Amino acid sequence: MNLYLNQIAAIVWKDFVTELKTRELLSAMFIFALLVILIFIFSINLSIVKASEVGPGILWVAFLFAGTIGLNRSFMLEKENDCLMGLMLVPADRTAIYFGKLISNLIFLSIMELFILPLFMIFFDIDLLSHLGPLLVVVFLGTLGFCVLGTLLSSLSSNLKTREIMLPILLYPLLIPIIIAAVRMTGQILDGTELSDMMKWVGLTASFDIIYIGVSIMTIDHILEE
Amino acid sequence: MNQETTEELNEESYILVWLTGIVFLFAMAAIFLFVPTEQTEGPVQRIMYIHIPSAWLSFFAFFIVFTCSILFLWKKEREWDIYAHASAEIGVIFCSLVLITGPIWAKPIWGTWWVWDARLTSTLILWLIYVAYLMLRAQTEAGFMRARYAAVLGIVGFLNIPFIHFSVLWWRTFHPQPKVISSEGFGKGMETSMLITLGISLCAFTLLYFLLMGQRVRQEKLKDEIDRLKREQLYSS
Repeated sequence: MNLYLNQIAAIVWKDFVTELKTRELLSAMFIFALLVILIFIFSINLSIVKASEVGPGILWVAFLFAGTIGLNRSFMLEKENDCLMGLMLVPADRTAIYFGKLISNLIFLSIMELFILPLFMIFFDIDLLSHLGPLLVVVFLGTLGFCVLGTLLSSLSSNLKTREIMLPILLYPLLIPIIIAAVRMTGQILDGTELSDMMKWVGLTASFDIIYIGVSIMTIDHILEE
Repeated sequence: MNQETTEELNEESYILVWLTGIVFLFAMAAIFLFVPTEQTEGPVQRIMYIHIPSAWLSFFAFFIVFTCSILFLWKKEREWDIYAHASAEIGVIFCSLVLITGPIWAKPIWGTWWVWDARLTSTLILWLIYVAYLMLRAQTEAGFMRARYAAVLGIVGFLNIPFIHFSVLWWRTFHPQPKVISSEGFGKGMETSMLITLGISLCAFTLLYFLLMGQRVRQEKLKDEIDRLKREQLYSS
C-alpha cells in the first residue's frame, strides 16, 4: 500500500515539476477562465438579471472550459516523446497512473479556481466570504467529479487523431448531472442555504464521484494498453 | 462462414422479415383504423403509438450496448463489439425518432415545440451521449483499440443515465411545472383499445429491432470477412 501511494505521489510530483519548469498550464487556464467570465458578462445585462442568479452558472462554465484545457494537456504532454509508454513501462499498477493524473489535475484545477473565485466576487459583487466553508466543499465535490470522469476520458481521447475535438464531445454530455448539481448548490449557497438543506444534491455529486472512480479503476487497464 | 450457415441465416432472417412486416401492418391498421380518436387531443394523439415504442426501443438498445460492452471487456471477443456497435446505431436512430415525434405532438397540444421538461431533457442528453459514442467509433480505426474504447464509453454512458434522470428531475422542480402529461397519467386514463394498439406497436418495434440488429451484425461480419480475404490476397501475391 505504501509503495502504491509512493508511486502515485511520484507521478503527481513529476507533473508538478513539469509545470514549474514550463509554467504553461496554470496561467493559460486562469486567463481562459477569466475570458469566459468576461464574455458572459458582455453577453448578459447585469442591470436586468440578478448577479447571484446567473453568477453560479457562469462560474461553472468557466471552470468547465478552463478545466478542459487542463485535461487535454494532461495526457497530451505524455504523448510527446512517448512519455506515456515510459509511464506504462513502470512496474506500477495502471490505476496508479490514473490516480496520479487525477490528483495532479485536481490540484491544478483547484489552484486555478482559488484564483478565479476572488475575481468572481469582485466582478459580480457577490459576497462569497460569508459562505466560504460550504462553497469550498461544493467547489471541491464538483471539481472532483469533473476530474474523475475527465481524467478517464482524456486518457482515452489522447490516443485519437482528433483529440482536442473529441474530449469535450465525449465529456460534456456525461458531465451534465455534475454541472446541474454544482450550479444549483452554488446558487443555493449564495442565497444563504445551509449545506445540510441540500443533501440530495450533495448525495448525487458524491455518488457520481464514487461510482466513476470505481468505473475508472475497472476500465483504465483497458484504455492504457498497447 | 461456410455455405450452410449462410443459408440458414438467410432463412431465419426471412422469417423475421415477414413476421415484422405483418405485425407492422397490423400495428398500422390498429393505429389508423381500429383505435378511436382521442377526444381532447384529436388525431395528433396517434403519434403516441410511434413515440412510446421508439422510446422503449432506444432505451432497450442502449441497455444492450451496455451489456455487450461489459461482455466485450470481459471476454475480448469481436462478436460483442459488433453487437454493441449495431445496437448503438439502432438506438440513436430511434432516439432521434423520439426527439422528432415528440415536438410534432407537442406543438398543437402544449403550444410549443419544446419545453425543458425532465423527460425531454434526459432524452436529448442521452442522444448526445450515444452520438458521441458513434463519433468515437467513426474517428478511430477499426481494431482492438476502437473496440476497447467504445466499450469503456458504452459502460460509462449507460451508468450516467440515473444521474441524468435525477439531476434533470430535481433541476426542473425549481421552476414552474409545465403542463406535462406524465406517463402515469397516460397509463391510467387509457382505453383498452388504446392499450392494445400500443401493445401491437411495441411488438412491431421490438421485432424491427431484432431484424435491424441481425442485418447490421451480418453486414459487419461480412465486412470482417472481406477484410480477411483482402489481406490473404495481399500476402499471397
